[in-house]
This record gives sequence, C-alpha cells and structure tokens, in this order.
Amino acid sequence: MTNHYKPDPFVLSRYFNLAIKNLRRRMVRTGLTIAGVSLAVTVAVSLGGFMLGYRGAIDKSIDMLGFQVMIMAKGCPYEAATMMLKGGTGLLYLPGEIYDKVRNDSEIESITPIFVGVAQKQGSGIREDSAEKNFLIVSGVEVASYKVMKPWINFKSGPGFDGGRWFSPDSRNEVVLGFEAAEYEQRKVGDTFFATITPAGKPEPVQHELKVVGILDRTGTQDDGTVFLPLEVTREYFGRPGQLTILGIKLKQFNAVNMRNFETRWLKLPEVQVVGLQQVKNTLVGLVATAQTMIAAVAVIAIIVAFIGVINTILMSVYERTSEIGIMKALGARRDSIFQLIWLETVMMCLAGGIVGSLMAVIGSNLVEKAIKSIADMGVSGSIVQITPAIIGYAILGAVILGFFAGLYPAWRASSMRPVEAINKGN
Amino acid sequence: MNKILIEASGLKRYYQRGSETVKALDGVDIQIHAGEIVSILGPSGCGKTTLINLLSCLDAPTAGKLTVDGKSVDGLTEDQLVEVRRGTLGFVFQNFSLLPTLTVTENIELPLMFLGLKPDPIQTANILAAVGLTDRATHLPRELSGGQMQRVAIARALISNPKILVADEPTGNLDKATGESIMALFQRLSAEEGLAILLTTHNTAFGAIADRAITLEDGRIVSEVRPSS
Repeated sequence: MTNHYKPDPFVLSRYFNLAIKNLRRRMVRTGLTIAGVSLAVTVAVSLGGFMLGYRGAIDKSIDMLGFQVMIMAKGCPYEAATMMLKGGTGLLYLPGEIYDKVRNDSEIESITPIFVGVAQKQGSGIREDSAEKNFLIVSGVEVASYKVMKPWINFKSGPGFDGGRWFSPDSRNEVVLGFEAAEYEQRKVGDTFFATITPAGKPEPVQHELKVVGILDRTGTQDDGTVFLPLEVTREYFGRPGQLTILGIKLKQFNAVNMRNFETRWLKLPEVQVVGLQQVKNTLVGLVATAQTMIAAVAVIAIIVAFIGVINTILMSVYERTSEIGIMKALGARRDSIFQLIWLETVMMCLAGGIVGSLMAVIGSNLVEKAIKSIADMGVSGSIVQITPAIIGYAILGAVILGFFAGLYPAWRASSMRPVEAINKGN
Repeated sequence: MNKILIEASGLKRYYQRGSETVKALDGVDIQIHAGEIVSILGPSGCGKTTLINLLSCLDAPTAGKLTVDGKSVDGLTEDQLVEVRRGTLGFVFQNFSLLPTLTVTENIELPLMFLGLKPDPIQTANILAAVGLTDRATHLPRELSGGQMQRVAIARALISNPKILVADEPTGNLDKATGESIMALFQRLSAEEGLAILLTTHNTAFGAIADRAITLEDGRIVSEVRPSS
C-alpha cells in the first residue's frame, strides 16, 4: 500500500505549483482580474501615501517656518497660514506698534516681524508665464531675528553662487533670492533682478532694479520661492510704512496652557488674531480630510468591484473545472484539499494584484502628486504623496485579506461538490 | 478463494426525475475478490456506471449494504468515504481525466499530493515503465495519444498502490488495437500485482478477458459468467 511513501513536509509547495498552473490556464481572465485588484490597490496606496505625505508636508512646512505662533491681522486664519506656508494674495496688515507691544512678553523666546507683499514679474524678461503665475512673493525681513528663527538657512555655494550674504539692513537695492526663485529667474550672485511693485494707493507700478547678493540653499519650504528684501525697504516699496504682515513667535515653553495664556493676553488687542500653528495644522488637515474621504470612497468602491471580480473569476474557474474537481476527489482529495487549492488560487491572484498595484502606485506617485496639486492648492510646499514600505505592506496584506474572503465562497462551493455529480456534470 | 475486497447486497440507487422514480440500480448483490478482474457488461443506461460509482464509494446507495476492504460504508459522510477510497481504490475514467497543465509525471503523482505523501521517483519510474511511458515523463497530456493518456490515467491510479482498480469504460475512447493493449495491461497488473480490477465495458470481447463477466439490464444482474474458465 502507500506506507512506503514518506510524509511530504513541502506538500503545500505542490499545491502552490498546481494553483499557479491553474491560474495560467486562462491568462487573459487571470490578468484582467489581477488588473482589477491592482487598480484598487493603486488607489488605496496612493490615498494612503497622500494622507501620510500631506500630514508630513504640513508638519515639515510648519516646522520649517521656525515659529509656533503667529500674530496677524484679523481675518481667515487658514488663508493667512496658507499664505505663510505657500504664498498667496489678499494680504492683511498689522500696525507696526503691535510688534513693540508684543516683543517684550516674558514668555517669548524669539520673535521676528515679517512683511509679505506680492510683486509682478514683469521686467524680468526671462519667461512667458501665464498671468496667474506672473507674480513674486516678496518678504521683508529683519535679518538678525529671522536668522534666529531659522538657523538652518544657508547660502548656496558653487560657481556663480559663492560669496552669498544677507543684504545690509539699510540697503535699498540688494536682494536675496530663494533657491527656486533664483533657479526660475536664472539669477546668480551679482546679477540684476527687477521687481515691479504697485505701492498701496498708487495706480501705477514701480519697477525696482535690485542686485542679487545671495541665493539661499534649498529648504523645501515656501522660502525657496521667495524674494527677500530688508523689512523697512519692503514696507516702503509697497507703500505701507510701519506695517507688518505677521509676527512669528517662538515661546520659551510651548504647550497648550502657555499657548492659551499667550492668546488670552494678546487677543485683547483689537486688530490682531493669535494663531497657533497646531491649530493651522488641524485646520488644513480638516479641510483636506473631506477630499480624502471622497478618494477613500472611490478606493472602497474599487475594492468592492475588485472583490466581486475575483469571486466571479474564481467561480467561473471552478465551474469550468467541475469535472476535474470531481476527479481530484475520486483520486483522494478531501474537502479541505479542494478548499485549500481554490483558496490558494484566489489569494495568489490577489497577492499578485497587491504587488502590481503597489508598484503602479510607487511608479505613478509623481503623477498623482502633480494631479492633486493641479486640481487644488494644498497649502503646503514639498512632496504631498509619501508611499512608505509600511503603506505598501498594509496594501499587500489588504489584498491578501481580500483574496482570503473572496476565495471563501468559491472554495466552499468547489469543496462541497459530490464527486460523482461533479464528474458527470463536467462530462 | 482470495479475500473479499468489496461486498454488496441488495444495492439500490434510485433517482427522482420529476414525479418519476428512476431505478438505476435495483437490488444488486456482488462480491469482488483480491486479484480478480470483473467486467460489468451491458447496454447504455443499464446501470454499469451507477454500480461502479457505488462500489467505489463515489456515490451513496439508496438502500443496501456495502463493505469495502472490510469496512461498512453505510451512512458514512463524504469525508469518511474519501478515507475509504484513499489507498484502497484507484480510478480510471473513459475520458482519461488528466489535468491538462500537469506533465505526465505530475499527473501520476497527483494522488500522493492529496495524501500528503512525498513522491518516490523510483516508484514513479517503475510505474511509468510498467505502462510503457518512460519516454513521456515530462510531456503534457496534449502531446500524447489517446492510448498514452489512458496509460497515464492507469499509472496515476496505481501510484498509491490501491487494492482495487476501478475503470469505467477504459477503452471507450480508444481504437481496437489500443483498447486491446490496455486490457492486456490490466491482465498483467492483475496477475503480477494481485490487483483486483473492476471495469465496465460495452465491448463483449474485452469482457471476455475478465475472470468474471457480469451483465446488467435495467439495474439488475441478469447473468454472471467466468469466461476464462
């Protein structure tokens, strides 16, 4: 009898082999089903990458602002924060004396006043841009306090960039360019840079000829696209002497209690609002959460469609192989053997879909990022889609779980066939 | 007399077709002994396949008693019937029923996978040699002739060293010469291995090579002869 055979410790590998061969019998059908699973996984991975990446981008952008609290003119805090993070128009201004009042608060570790304005690119003559992109964000900064707030800022080095420095505080024609601003305008240290600014209350713009004295290294933040001028000069050029856009503040001890106390103290001033960047972060995340929910709904629908597709494919396969299943039962296959085989086929198909889908998501992540950014202003700079090994791992695990459940019914149905009926039906 | 491997008495199999009760098998008594070839003859629809399906535990009788290798199979669940079949019965079907994606060797070793046993290359080679297919070991079924495919099916049935080989119309899809070679193979296996062979056939000439030839009509045994005696 069979007792001269030894138990096979690798018998599962033979089931795998048979399952793979069964899947290869109908390559087009198997391929289309895997494509369906892949698509669902691609959407899910991209969504996961977007959720993670966006939070990371917000964290990074906010951390790289260098301050935890902003004092700004009353208005929409989200709009103001977005402007600080990524640039924008429709700015509101604070009276300059606010700075003098706030700077002596004992809880403040460091404070920097910033004036932000929007200049036209006309005169640069380098590129033919669309009208809506034809502006520059100009930041007027007080170098000493700005450097304290952002100690990581360095000047770009290399041919044409060496010798970069900050402008003198009283200089009227020196400018420092952010990395991308310089790259976009193709400017190097010593070059001339034109900024066309319309002063407040004046109908005609004024073109200013400036000399580039330094180009900043890449920071991955809004600073990269910014043109920096001395604070006083900027306010003068924009026709807003003594005014400010924000006060960036770092507290000695940043926690919820200190933040609340600080807010309470300074919200008494009629013109200002105090915005904690954690609050900004929550607002931005909350706004994007709606869009993410929509995408998640699409992902869920794709997963359901893939789930039904997998069940359909495996059921068809089982139906086509009814006779074979009967024969296998006649040859000694128990219910669990048939169940295992059909289940393996389903799980392997979904595993393949998970792997292919994850690869597609990784390869297409740049496209997804560009697409998202082209549809909506996300309020942050830098990468907003971050696909990590953990996301890929979860996606593949999810695909396997999908196969696990999708395979249950076809496998149960196949394993429940009575051999003689299965053989006769197939014949 | 050799050991009784299959013993059935009063075996009935009725089907319900609408309001009509079809008596596919209507009270059959039969014994199969070790080492004998028993052929079941009869016209189409006489109950040949129904009888061997019952005797090989692929189907459950409506009534009657059945013992296989000393074990009563009355009232057993499907999984329990599988256990009875495993290692006791080997099957050969009319249409060969090979898995098209597996090679000859893989098809032959398939039953061992379901038994959780490791194939023995020497045993497989011996069986391949016994059915004359040593040079076809790595071929796929589509690369074989009908006779070769039936030999693979026989080799597959033999791989787990069953006590009884059940063959339903094993020559039904083969030409006369190939059919004769298959029957000769059965005779040799029975003589050399002591294998009991239970087969159905339309062909009375093939039936004549059996130790016993049982003829069915309308679900009943109408004659039993010993052609070789």
